[in-house]
Amino acid sequence: MLPLAEVRLLYLREMRAALREKNIVINSIVIPILLYPFMMWAMVTGFTLVQGQTEGFVSRLVVTAEGETAQAVVRELRRQPRLAILTPAPADPLEALRAGEVDALLELAPGRGEAAAVPGSLSATLHVNGSRERSRAAQERLRQLLHRCKAKVLEERARELGVEEPRWLNFTLLQRNLASGREMGAFLLGLMLPLFFIIMVAVGCFYPAVDATAGERERGSWETTLSLGTSRLAVMAAKYLVVTTFGFLAGGLNLAAMGVSLGAILKPLLGPEDADLALTLSLSAAPVAAAAALLLAAFVAAGMLLLASFARTFKEGQAMITPFYMLTLLPAVFLSVPGLELTYPLALVPVVNVALLLRGAIGGTLGWGPALVATLASLATVWGAIRLATLVLRFEDVVLGSYGGSLGRLVRQRLLLGRLA
Amino acid sequence: MNAVEVRGLTKVFHDEARGEIRAVDGVDFHCRPGEIFGLLGANGAGKTTTLRMLATILTPTAGEATVMGHDLLRQPEAVRRCLGFYSASTALYPRLTARETLAFFARINGLDSQLVKARVEELVARFGLADYADARVEKLSQGMKQKVSIARTVAHDPPVLVFDEPTVGLDVLNALEMQRTIAEFRAEGKAIIFSTHIMSEAERLCDRIAVIHRGRILACDNLAGLRQLTGQHYLEDIFVALVGG
Repeated sequence: MLPLAEVRLLYLREMRAALREKNIVINSIVIPILLYPFMMWAMVTGFTLVQGQTEGFVSRLVVTAEGETAQAVVRELRRQPRLAILTPAPADPLEALRAGEVDALLELAPGRGEAAAVPGSLSATLHVNGSRERSRAAQERLRQLLHRCKAKVLEERARELGVEEPRWLNFTLLQRNLASGREMGAFLLGLMLPLFFIIMVAVGCFYPAVDATAGERERGSWETTLSLGTSRLAVMAAKYLVVTTFGFLAGGLNLAAMGVSLGAILKPLLGPEDADLALTLSLSAAPVAAAAALLLAAFVAAGMLLLASFARTFKEGQAMITPFYMLTLLPAVFLSVPGLELTYPLALVPVVNVALLLRGAIGGTLGWGPALVATLASLATVWGAIRLATLVLRFEDVVLGSYGGSLGRLVRQRLLLGRLA
Repeated sequence: MNAVEVRGLTKVFHDEARGEIRAVDGVDFHCRPGEIFGLLGANGAGKTTTLRMLATILTPTAGEATVMGHDLLRQPEAVRRCLGFYSASTALYPRLTARETLAFFARINGLDSQLVKARVEELVARFGLADYADARVEKLSQGMKQKVSIARTVAHDPPVLVFDEPTVGLDVLNALEMQRTIAEFRAEGKAIIFSTHIMSEAERLCDRIAVIHRGRILACDNLAGLRQLTGQHYLEDIFVALVGG
């Protein structure tokens, strides 16, 4: 039976100590609130800046034109403020293009083959240097311009032939998005937030787990804790709750910070058609988000605490936890797969299930059957990790920090082989 | 009634390189209230292992012991609540203040929550901690930390105190201060088990001394008894005569 009053005392002692440690506060509280909103802001600002610079510069062109239609296109080109035809043209335009002195070479000539018989036909050959950003921008500008010129020529030709627009423009595409701004916002948040959430829960658990175990050994207070008038189960339970709390806090704070700031951060990237896009976390998603943060934190905390129990120094603790940390982040990669939703099989995969649970809650697409299975599977994983920790922490040398091996070695030597023997 | 009873206490460690190590081998002793019982031995003799078993940090391989009638194996939490354990390896929590430390140790070791505040203030006054009671332990000097450590050992007013080489690393003045404090605890009726390898310390403080060597107690008596047993006057000579150095 767990002495809850003693666990509470130990928990408060650990929390107080942890909240006075700079690294823990930075990693588990400050970073989850500020890092990703700041990173997103920096990315958007950088993107906007680069986009602004790209839009601002003038593309340097060399144009060869043959025929009346080609000359008409050249006149159109000269009217464009962000396109400049170089005069005199370089002696070797292709070499100048390779060297980055010219952004594009456009060769305009009468149409070839059967097209040559059609009056006013045009063949355009565009040379660009794909390894240079300026040249790629010039390519895009010229492509759009030539497309407009072509449409204009077709329109004029149709008019000359007496064909009205509805007859020659007989194929039209109209697009309508039935999703509301709120639904689109929830979809985008569901794509982004679970990824940050997993990372933040893992980061939030990392330092407290090492601090509560290896850190305490390094500071020489581990034996003090073991000599307290309470059970070791209570000591470990309090440590576990502290690490879980920090993971939960990190995940929750990150979700809240991203939910609040994402709309404002992404605003410069949104066009007028996205004016009603609602990039804020809905209140209805909050309970599921909190449950997901708790489940994930409980699992990650158990794993990290278990591994860090074998470390004697802070450095050793960090080294022992890092592979588990990376393993926890691995499922995040799959979250970018389009159309990935919480299904019954995926509900059984640790970490992925919680992330998809969160995505479903944000997007409003959560099926209660898979959600229940995901919750039960997560609870089972947490129970398994705690059970393993209880088995491992029965060994005196592990508890005292004198065991020289790793978790894997201990499980092999004492839990598996010991049982077989 | 004996406050501490130890019978046949044994601890065997298994080391991959060295095989089986019998660190403590069938140790018997007892300690009464108001007595300082000394465990005298060289480094590696088994003093610390014995005391760590008594503090329930280590589990004995064989033998039994009771602290205030509580069995070491069956009631480890009750044993820990009757005991104040002080050693070089039981450091304080650096991020708590001295006052927070004392309150925490008093409460977790079972002192009635209504008595905690008064007990903390009593300890602050007794050990002269008032000026730095609200400073974090990590900011304190070595001497101040030592005072807080002793205060936290007795925070819950345990009837049994275990001091494992308490003067190691202290300067002369702090070591004498420590000895004075331990003597005061004896006068208050506490049963004190005290380990040291410093002969003068044992001679000055201990009512009875057990000489421990290679995990075994070779002799256990008061100083007069040990003198009679070995025919030597000084404790140093008694020790050498017993361990056969």
